[in-house]
Amino acid sequence: MLREYLQFVLEVIGSVLAGFSVAALIMSLMGFDPLKGLYLITLGGLSDPDYLLSRSSLIMMTGLAFSVPALASAFNIGGEGQMYVGGLVALAVSLYSPNPLLPLASGALAGGLVGLVIGALRAYREVNEVITAIMMNWTFYYLSIYLITTYLYNPLAPYRSVSVPEGSRLSTIDLSGVKLHVSFLVSIALALVAYFLVYHTKLGYEIRVSGLSRRSAVYAGINPRRTFTLSMALGGVFGGFSGALNVIGFTYYMDQLLTSMYGMGFDGIGVALMGRNNPIGIILSSIFFSMLLLGGQRMQVSMNVPKELTDALSGVIIISLAMPYAYRMLISYLRVRKVGRGAE
Amino acid sequence: MVEVLSEVADLIAGSIPPMIPLVLAGVGEIIAERSGVVNIGIEGTMLLSALTSGVTAYYTGNLALAITVGLVTGALLGALHALLGVLLRGDQIVIGVGVNLFAYGMSVVTLVYMWGTYGNSPQLPTLPKIYVCCYPISTLLPVSVAISLLSWYVLFRTKWGLMIRACGEDPKAAEAMGVNVMRVRSIATVVGGMLAGLAGSHLSLDWVGQFTKEITAGRGFIALANVVFSKWNPINALLGGFIFGFFESLAIYLSVVSLNPSMAYLFKIVPYVATLAVVTVFMRKAKIPPALGKPYIKE
Repeated sequence: MLREYLQFVLEVIGSVLAGFSVAALIMSLMGFDPLKGLYLITLGGLSDPDYLLSRSSLIMMTGLAFSVPALASAFNIGGEGQMYVGGLVALAVSLYSPNPLLPLASGALAGGLVGLVIGALRAYREVNEVITAIMMNWTFYYLSIYLITTYLYNPLAPYRSVSVPEGSRLSTIDLSGVKLHVSFLVSIALALVAYFLVYHTKLGYEIRVSGLSRRSAVYAGINPRRTFTLSMALGGVFGGFSGALNVIGFTYYMDQLLTSMYGMGFDGIGVALMGRNNPIGIILSSIFFSMLLLGGQRMQVSMNVPKELTDALSGVIIISLAMPYAYRMLISYLRVRKVGRGAE
Repeated sequence: MVEVLSEVADLIAGSIPPMIPLVLAGVGEIIAERSGVVNIGIEGTMLLSALTSGVTAYYTGNLALAITVGLVTGALLGALHALLGVLLRGDQIVIGVGVNLFAYGMSVVTLVYMWGTYGNSPQLPTLPKIYVCCYPISTLLPVSVAISLLSWYVLFRTKWGLMIRACGEDPKAAEAMGVNVMRVRSIATVVGGMLAGLAGSHLSLDWVGQFTKEITAGRGFIALANVVFSKWNPINALLGGFIFGFFESLAIYLSVVSLNPSMAYLFKIVPYVATLAVVTVFMRKAKIPPALGKPYIKE
């Protein structure tokens, strides 16, 4: 157990170090001050902790969108598209129902439906979920742009959609001096629900068993196809919820090229991997990634380094987190050396 | 009647540029997957090769050098995937996701650094065209056809191909026969990366004539769909590439005909939806290499 934790800590530190080294290398090659850049990426976001926590709720949800299916060994790379759909449906529903609850719920359900289709195509027709999900991401990207520019555009500001009515918006609440966004609290609650669902319900158990061993699942009377599909649908619910939360809680509209959402589905994959697919871990890692994202924006403003540098950085972190075996080898290598030295 | 025929001819000629990257990257991925390695990072590989060869062409004007740089970029990313995914047994899908994200970030940062824009590079020198019945055809079309025929021959008619396929079918048996599984898989992954790199160079130097943000737009994944469609056979990949390329040509044609900018966004979904539909229909009959994506652990 202790060794497992040690390895986990080593993995996180190693991957963050790898990411930061690559980012520093890129910055120095391009003639920017790497130390100032890294300082801004890590600490730039901390100047506004309330906002940092609030924004983390969005990638916390896309993180869950990846990790719940991942526990059933389903690879949901479609959080991005589920998020677009969730945002779009939430926006449309909010125009007719002036309360935040219904738009959020319908956005989540719409995302869930997308997840369900991706999962069912894999489970019942053997269509690889990675291909399906990416095709869906691009389809919904252009479909959202089409719908925004054709039906939902704002006549006063054509680059964006109409606004969410006042009555449907979520905003901040004041908790004895700390101004927290309602969406942060909602997301924490949902992450706890996800934790309960995964570790304390029959469905969660079935998801984890079929993820660990499909054969054992079949022997235990679990239908792995059904579990796979349901886990994907659940992931889609979280993805859709992230998009709905973005529109209902932060921007109150969708811009024509979806810039306020773009990429958050993929950020969620990093969040999920660093949080070890555990909802509690995801709460923490989403705050870390939120720090990087806001820090990246701070860096762009004050140093003119594009904020996409943080995408390259998270890419390296994701690659490094893909290799638990390499760290295990490293640990046993260090141990062998230690033992070897003791014997001398 | 003549007009209809000429429009059909336009559509077919228009399918060739989008077909080439799907064939090249698809054949590369077929070679890698036949050896048991899945590399979804070909999307990012194409993107970075499009960038590096574009930058080289912009500064030197030397197209041969630019294509070589694109190939080397692809080979390096393939080697990275082989090192992490084959030798260090990392999760191949997750590595691919990371590579794609890294490539996206890196390409935007470089675009801004080199040309000070978030959109597209200035015009780049392009490869010469061959004229067939007054249609300009890409030089890379015969190259792609030759590469897929050659890959088919190597995979199914040579000892090398047998070794590659053995590693994807049953690595333990391959090892017992004296095949170095790790080495074969690594080489196959590097070759796959090189072909994805060539596909990327085609995008910036042959088709579009400039580097634009996210120039790949999911084409790496359509190439993955092409792998499935062609049942891991490089010759079928030519047909698949043409079919998927045709839908892209159709999308471009429809948006030109409709003259409505927001309808153009709607037509852009045609290739993605068509890919999804084609894969859904054909996947049932596909036979996946049994050891695909599974790390080989030598005892």
